[in-house]
Amino acid sequence: MHIMEGFLPASHAIGWYAVSAPFVVAGAVRLRSVLRDKPEARMTLAAAGAFAFVLSALKIPSVTGSCSHPTGTGLGAIVFGPAVMSVLGVIVLLFQAVLMAHGGLTTLGANAFAMAIVGPWVAWGVWKLAGRMGLRFAVAVFLAASLGNLATYICTTLQLALAYPDPVSGFMGAAMKFGSIFALTQVPLAVAEGLLTVVVIEALSGKTRDSDRIAALAGEAR
Amino acid sequence: MAEKLLIGLGFLVLAVGLPPWPGAALVAVAMLGFTFAGARVPVRLWLAAVALPLGFLATGSVMLLVQVGPEGPALAQDGVAAAAQVCLRAMAATFCLMFLAFTTPAAELIGGLRRLRVPAEIVELALLTYRFVFLLADEAVAMTAAQRARLGHSTRRRWLRSSGMVIANLLPRAMARARRMETGLAARGWQGGMRVLTQRRPVSVGMVVLVLVLQVAVGVAATWG
Repeated sequence: MHIMEGFLPASHAIGWYAVSAPFVVAGAVRLRSVLRDKPEARMTLAAAGAFAFVLSALKIPSVTGSCSHPTGTGLGAIVFGPAVMSVLGVIVLLFQAVLMAHGGLTTLGANAFAMAIVGPWVAWGVWKLAGRMGLRFAVAVFLAASLGNLATYICTTLQLALAYPDPVSGFMGAAMKFGSIFALTQVPLAVAEGLLTVVVIEALSGKTRDSDRIAALAGEAR
Repeated sequence: MAEKLLIGLGFLVLAVGLPPWPGAALVAVAMLGFTFAGARVPVRLWLAAVALPLGFLATGSVMLLVQVGPEGPALAQDGVAAAAQVCLRAMAATFCLMFLAFTTPAAELIGGLRRLRVPAEIVELALLTYRFVFLLADEAVAMTAAQRARLGHSTRRRWLRSSGMVIANLLPRAMARARRMETGLAARGWQGGMRVLTQRRPVSVGMVVLVLVLQVAVGVAATWG
């Protein structure tokens, strides 16, 4: 769910840039240290970023009849970890904005926060938590990917509500308004992305033991 | 390059920073002029690209028309004015972004990142990502076409499964390609730098003056108009 160019007022646009910046800088520092240790990870990471970009161009069916696209952040966060994913996410968002006019430059900060920071961290957190609770592998992947997607959507909703509070019921009312309209497409989409990610990871990792699967996927980039 | 950034980013700042009426409206008109008369962007292509953001704008601004009170949803008092302002600003800003999107090749974008002192590793990563996007997109398009031809999208269930298969096939291919490219470059003694030539065109003073005069005019008109 990209917030379009110019939809946020100037003060909010700047504010979200400021909020996202520390996460992205931390991710960049982490990325540099990964690359210093293993220069060969560069290609893998670039391929992963491109993969996320291509995913967002791939349409998947959603129950309400609308088509939407997966975010791929859940998959990326599980495989590569959330810190690195924040940098990759910003690169992808920048390309989407400047090369495809999808998203925007003034809203890059807000979009980065929802899609490259909140989504991956939630997905990763859920993934770790589910692992510790001893849930089955497929269930853990499903929960991580779909909750990560849902978190992104909730974050976007709150960002919009913060920018345009309801004249009567204020922030909460606006959150309900934006939330209910996007829920039509986003909740089924979150479920779809969860299922999709399970299918992908199952297909990718074949018959290896559950605990080894992610390590096998991440290869040298971890 | 310099003129283009001045046009695109300059008007973008004006669109977001100035009061929407008449500021953003003037910016929108100016940007349409630069896009079609200046950069000669094909109208059909432009319309296809602008449809998606405008769809978002339609749903988003409907929300501003409605207010939710204790007695349920109702039409907001100043909803029309608020929605019109947001629409104007977002449209003007989108036109600026579309102008940049249609006139900026990735090499220039990467060069710009370099000049902004983004760490070299990140810039290289961005460049490589861009390179991979097209390789992967080609493969994804081919795979999707093959699936469609075999009724792979005939039901929702199958569609989801087919998409899963595309993605599942795409990721290992992407990784394999990445490894091959890495090996190939390592064999040639690659140190991790990728320099690309960007064409340096001389800055046209007339154009810069025209753009600046227009921007100042829009700013003045919007502030005191």
